[in-house]
Amino acid sequence: MMMFQIATHEFRYMMGSIATRVAFAALFGFAVLYTADGVEFQLTAGGGNIFINAPTSITLFMLLMSVAATFFVPSFMANAVLKDVDSKFDAILFSTPITKNDYLIGRFLGAFAALMLVMAAAPIGMLLGTFWPWAVPETLGPTIISHYLVAYFGFLLPTMLLVSALVFAVAVLSRSMMYCYVAVLGLFIFYIAGLGSSTISPLFDPFMISTFNDQVSYWTAAELNENLISYTGTILANRVIWLGFAISLFVAAYLRFSPQTPAKLPKARKADQKMVDAKNKAQANVGYRGTPTWAVGTHFRQFLYCTKFEVLAVLKSQPFILLMGFSLFLLVTTLSNRAVLYEVNALPVTRILMENMVEALVWALMAVTIFYGADVVWRDRENKFNAFLDAAPAPNWVFVISKLAALIAVVYSILILGVIVAVAIQLLNGYHTFEFGLYLEQGLLFSTSFIFLAILSCFFQVLVKSRFLGIMLMGLFWVITLASVTLLEHPLLRYALGMISAPLSDMNGAGRFAEAGYWIRAYNASVAGLLVMLTYVLWNRGTLQPLKYRLKQLKAFKTAKFLVPLTALVVLFIGSGSFIYYNTNVLNKFRTRADIQELQVAYEEQFRQYENLPMPRTVDVKMEVDIYPYGGRVETRGIHILENRTDTDIATVHLVFPPRLAAAPLVKLEGASLASVNARYRYYIFELETPMVPGEQRTLEFETLIHNKGFPHRGADVTLIRNGTFFDNRRIAPHIGFNPAFMIAVRDQRRDAGLEPLPRMPKLEDSSQYKTNGLRGDSDFVGFEATVSTVPEQIAVTPGYLQKEWIEGNRRYFTYKMDVPIMNLYSFLSAEYEVVRDQWNGVDIEIFHHMPHTYNLGRMVESAKDSLAYFSQAFGPYQFRQVRILEFAAYRNFAKSFPNTISYSEDLGFLADVTDSSVIDLPYYVTAHEIAHQWWAHQVTPANTQGAAMLSESLSQYSALLVMEQKYGKDQIRKFLKFELDSYLSGRNQEADAELPLLRVEDQQYIYYRKGAVIMYALKDYLGETVVNRALQRLVEGHAFKSSPYPTSNDLLFYLKEEAGPEHHGLIEDFLEKITLYDVKITESTVEEMADGRFKISLSLDARKFYSDGIGNQTDAAFDIPVDIGLFLKSPDAAGYGSADVIMLEKRRIVDGKSTIEIIVDKKPLIAGIDPYNKLIDRDSDDNLRAVDEIEAGTRDASALARSEQAKS
Amino acid sequence: MLSIQNLTHTYPNGVQALKNVSLEIPKGMFGLLGPNGAGKSSLMRTIATLQQPTSGAVQFGDINVLTEPGTVRRRLGYLPQDFGVYPRGSAYDLLDHLAMLKGITSAKERKRVVEGLLVQTNLFDVRKKNVATFSGGMRQRFGIAQALIGQPQLIIVDEPTAGLDPEERNRFHNLLSEIGEDVVVILSTHIVDDVSDLCPNMAVLAAGEIVSKGTPAALVAELEGRIWKKTINKTKLDAFKAKHKVISNHLSAGQMMVRVESVSLPGEGFELAKANLEDVYFVAISESRQSGSSSSEIGDITVAAA
Repeated sequence: MMMFQIATHEFRYMMGSIATRVAFAALFGFAVLYTADGVEFQLTAGGGNIFINAPTSITLFMLLMSVAATFFVPSFMANAVLKDVDSKFDAILFSTPITKNDYLIGRFLGAFAALMLVMAAAPIGMLLGTFWPWAVPETLGPTIISHYLVAYFGFLLPTMLLVSALVFAVAVLSRSMMYCYVAVLGLFIFYIAGLGSSTISPLFDPFMISTFNDQVSYWTAAELNENLISYTGTILANRVIWLGFAISLFVAAYLRFSPQTPAKLPKARKADQKMVDAKNKAQANVGYRGTPTWAVGTHFRQFLYCTKFEVLAVLKSQPFILLMGFSLFLLVTTLSNRAVLYEVNALPVTRILMENMVEALVWALMAVTIFYGADVVWRDRENKFNAFLDAAPAPNWVFVISKLAALIAVVYSILILGVIVAVAIQLLNGYHTFEFGLYLEQGLLFSTSFIFLAILSCFFQVLVKSRFLGIMLMGLFWVITLASVTLLEHPLLRYALGMISAPLSDMNGAGRFAEAGYWIRAYNASVAGLLVMLTYVLWNRGTLQPLKYRLKQLKAFKTAKFLVPLTALVVLFIGSGSFIYYNTNVLNKFRTRADIQELQVAYEEQFRQYENLPMPRTVDVKMEVDIYPYGGRVETRGIHILENRTDTDIATVHLVFPPRLAAAPLVKLEGASLASVNARYRYYIFELETPMVPGEQRTLEFETLIHNKGFPHRGADVTLIRNGTFFDNRRIAPHIGFNPAFMIAVRDQRRDAGLEPLPRMPKLEDSSQYKTNGLRGDSDFVGFEATVSTVPEQIAVTPGYLQKEWIEGNRRYFTYKMDVPIMNLYSFLSAEYEVVRDQWNGVDIEIFHHMPHTYNLGRMVESAKDSLAYFSQAFGPYQFRQVRILEFAAYRNFAKSFPNTISYSEDLGFLADVTDSSVIDLPYYVTAHEIAHQWWAHQVTPANTQGAAMLSESLSQYSALLVMEQKYGKDQIRKFLKFELDSYLSGRNQEADAELPLLRVEDQQYIYYRKGAVIMYALKDYLGETVVNRALQRLVEGHAFKSSPYPTSNDLLFYLKEEAGPEHHGLIEDFLEKITLYDVKITESTVEEMADGRFKISLSLDARKFYSDGIGNQTDAAFDIPVDIGLFLKSPDAAGYGSADVIMLEKRRIVDGKSTIEIIVDKKPLIAGIDPYNKLIDRDSDDNLRAVDEIEAGTRDASALARSEQAKS
Repeated sequence: MLSIQNLTHTYPNGVQALKNVSLEIPKGMFGLLGPNGAGKSSLMRTIATLQQPTSGAVQFGDINVLTEPGTVRRRLGYLPQDFGVYPRGSAYDLLDHLAMLKGITSAKERKRVVEGLLVQTNLFDVRKKNVATFSGGMRQRFGIAQALIGQPQLIIVDEPTAGLDPEERNRFHNLLSEIGEDVVVILSTHIVDDVSDLCPNMAVLAAGEIVSKGTPAALVAELEGRIWKKTINKTKLDAFKAKHKVISNHLSAGQMMVRVESVSLPGEGFELAKANLEDVYFVAISESRQSGSSSSEIGDITVAAA
């Protein structure tokens, strides 16, 4: 009863506080906005087919809110015990006859009830948000109240309970608010460390977000929209672990809690001789009071002293040591994880470690600036020491700036820890190129944002009258700044967070992008300086006074002491601000994302009418391109031959030039006059004096100029840089006719703009597209010749064979020419390259690389040789006499195949760390994939219909897998297939529109790369390599360099079916024409030694097949294909697994549903597997392997008997 | 030396802590006597530059305390009524810290000052101990030690003896008495003995107003011949109070001893008493209670924001 009274009293007390109301309002507002305006806030739903109010979306939102809410848990739960101590009410309270039980449990329950009432704002806000007038109906499913209740009580409440119990326990044990915040910070860091790392299992995520994502990652949109996640498996285990931990801590705190304050009397100690001496000496000074000296440097010396005092106070504090522990954990987990692709890490080069560090620390440092900002401001006052300090003759700035210094010291301590961890990781990896200069430079640049935030945090704390309100203000600042990306896009309007990105590369460093960073920091520094001045002018001295009284102190700004720095800051503000404005708005066009969207809408409105006009095609290309890497300038002169390949006369020719040209392009079309020019869209319409008759050719001459000046606020041109330039012709040459690529493609954005969705691709059956290729619709195969020039110390490359090279003036020229037709896609690269040369069968292999990046060159060369050998034998001859691989700056991370020329980003292959033989050989694989494109895209060019990407990407994946398998053996393909399968399955629920079968794949990477690789490999496995390769060979024979018509995936289907024969048609249809999913697993596996020394293995199997529709609704079908059954000495997913571990692996025909099979082998297996290498599209690929249980001869009969008994009953 | 003119302070919640307070405080120890909640701390904080009054002026020598707080602070030693320290921080370190803030920039000099004060306040033996673990008396001695750093000309000690045992109070009185006579020391207290022991000048503050000021001797002399005492049955106190101006009463051996102010013999059984400072205090505050409409309540309200 007493407990209940205490609880209600506590509840009422909490409900009465401003903090509670503010928290409720903030949470409610956010939840309403989140659902009401589904387009801007897609934290959980991710767009596409998943409803914002789907049960899983609601649950995930609750989980995310639990992370945010964690930060105000201390002001509820810790306050519930600490307020008595702070207000010294404890003496009175504990002299009353309340029991420890009543007190602790009552307080906990009261505060927790108040907290949960506040948290109820989340589901209520979410629910009401769906009824808001501007909610987008198609993002919402039916309203089901129980989903909100389950999410709130089943997911939010347990998380809040564990955080609350933890914080309450820490408060009871430590009696310090700071420890409570550090505890919360610890949970938070543990959570973000788990997000960025595969080493921490989702099982241990305190907020269960990774756990949740892990559970639903293979769910389809339909399932996500309908099903609630169940409290089983890892979800249940996670809750048990964390609640168990929190409750144990709570119990420990409960047991240790004693209402009596421990005695705090100093121990009487005998004065030893030394002490006596010291005292005698000191005796002489009795009565000496010192003379203050008020010289010029006095306040500065006070400042230094206070800085030392404040910094040491923070650094020596236990919360700080805990914080460093958490940070260490976070850094180790994130810096160890540098995956570029296929879970292969990049080498620990400083740049990559630094980038990872930045990513890892952003949130941690944000929390640090908020909490420590509050702590340094309130510490003196909370300890009631402030009266001494406030009456002391030191000016406000001494206190404020020394406190800021302490805050900054925390930021730097964490950064220095980061560098130590990074260097340790480099040492452990045997990487010895330490770039301490880069650590220092990047560390300093990165830290500035947090210094600015620390200053803002202190400023807010000084404005308000409680720590909590300051923290809320800071949180609000973050939310508003982050949420207002589209409203306040200009970096000048985004204090501390409006940094202009300056990506890093080994080839080019931060390049000229760094400059913008320095200016924006100078600008922010001026604002920060003003904030510091405001902070110390408004600094509370003595009695806490309302802000409106303190504002009078602003008149101090009129005094000379203030005017000098103030003027300097204003000059810096205006100077740097104007310079930035000049760069972002004058030298460059300032366009927000919304502006660009508007432009795209207007472009579509104005010009889409011309989409289907007959246009000539480009058939021949001659280019002269002068690259000025230091000037950010490219001058282009082009002569293209256009041919009328339609069967009608063409009277007008439209040209669209690329955006971001420095001047209006010069254009001349033979026998034509310019009818209209739209300068904004660079849209040119030519009226032909005499129409082009079918087959007629005309010459198009043009000149374009790119000249990057200054820096834009966003989207700086990373293609044109001092070292490592790489761009393609889409950047410099016109498109013939309306260019559909400039329209908005994303469905949600189109809906926002009031546009109908675009069909992502023409249908497979749309024969009007068969004469247009899917790579570049305005051209067919072209002849190509280009002269490209650059600075003398660089090599410039474009597709074709080098004809001649010369130096003229201070320019270096190269002429390249192709002797076979190519797609109208060509790249220009220029850098200070080193070249590695090799040969295969008369084909030159050249790798142009950044000098230090020599790690993987051997693998690339080997892969090029193996690929050329395999592909030319299996599919048809290689069309060129040369393969070139060229490195480009890591600002972009991909590889792309141009004719005989492959552009390859630094990190992807050159810096992949493949020294560990158990990881996928990434440089080998990617090289093979890109070389395969020389066949699949550059010889067999798909028509512009669905399935085009299957012909280019899925076939390249398949080809690369073949080369990989040849090198590493069949038994090493599993890790690759498993990765691809998992990526496909988790990609399905991100689908924005509808999933399609592989044969009809549109712009869907998760299908054409991921599923494509698995399906093509499985086809090879089921039909035989020769059958599939013969079909591909026929595809090359029949369609290489053919443009009229271009092949479609139906052509491949035809060859496959013909080669495979009718008995395989069902399988081919399942694999290619339908969305087919399997689910095979072993439910039981036993081994028994037989009398003859051999082993009898009994496997209980379950095999199912489903068909799925575009959003994941499944229908059952009969499992009808043979499937791999394997017996192993070692699990195929174990490190070091190889062919020696295989006892048996063969295809067995098994029945649909549950079945049992028996196998007799010579060796005793430890692991059994059904489809152990994951060749099938298996909805759950984790249950395919199972340890084999050993049974004694006798017991087996007994258990068999028991089973048969069961069957009878 | 310190001149306070028409000082009025009203807290945002409407409580009027100071009402038109004017005082001239000469050099030497000045006792500001008043009951709990009379506004003493508000006045002290205002003089110590920690609170801006609603209106009025405070002048210290030729310094305007309200507009030049920085200048006053250079001459100020302040022992607040209710202070704390960081959970960690030894007496030595904290004194060193405060000495720096008080402008003793030379490390050598700071050492001399701090050690001298530690010896003087008898804290030298515990100088490396956390102040947070000190007893109340030690804590007050630490407080006075820091107030004395840098030869302040204006020392404000706010209720320094509250809660101290008689021995510690004595020790504290000795410390205060050692402060030189050519500085202004304002001692605010509700304990009459503090003033009678130490202060040549004093004022009584009640309900935010100065109700009496002067030298203790003169104030006592004013009452001489007007204080009468009588022993009565304690059940009759209320009836007695209705008839006489009772300024104080206390129990002695179960009987109620009552002191009454009156110019002539108030009645039968009274005996002329020798006036003392306590009588001055009680007369002053009882007058204030009678004159103010609801001021007796004000005495019970501790000023919220102080």
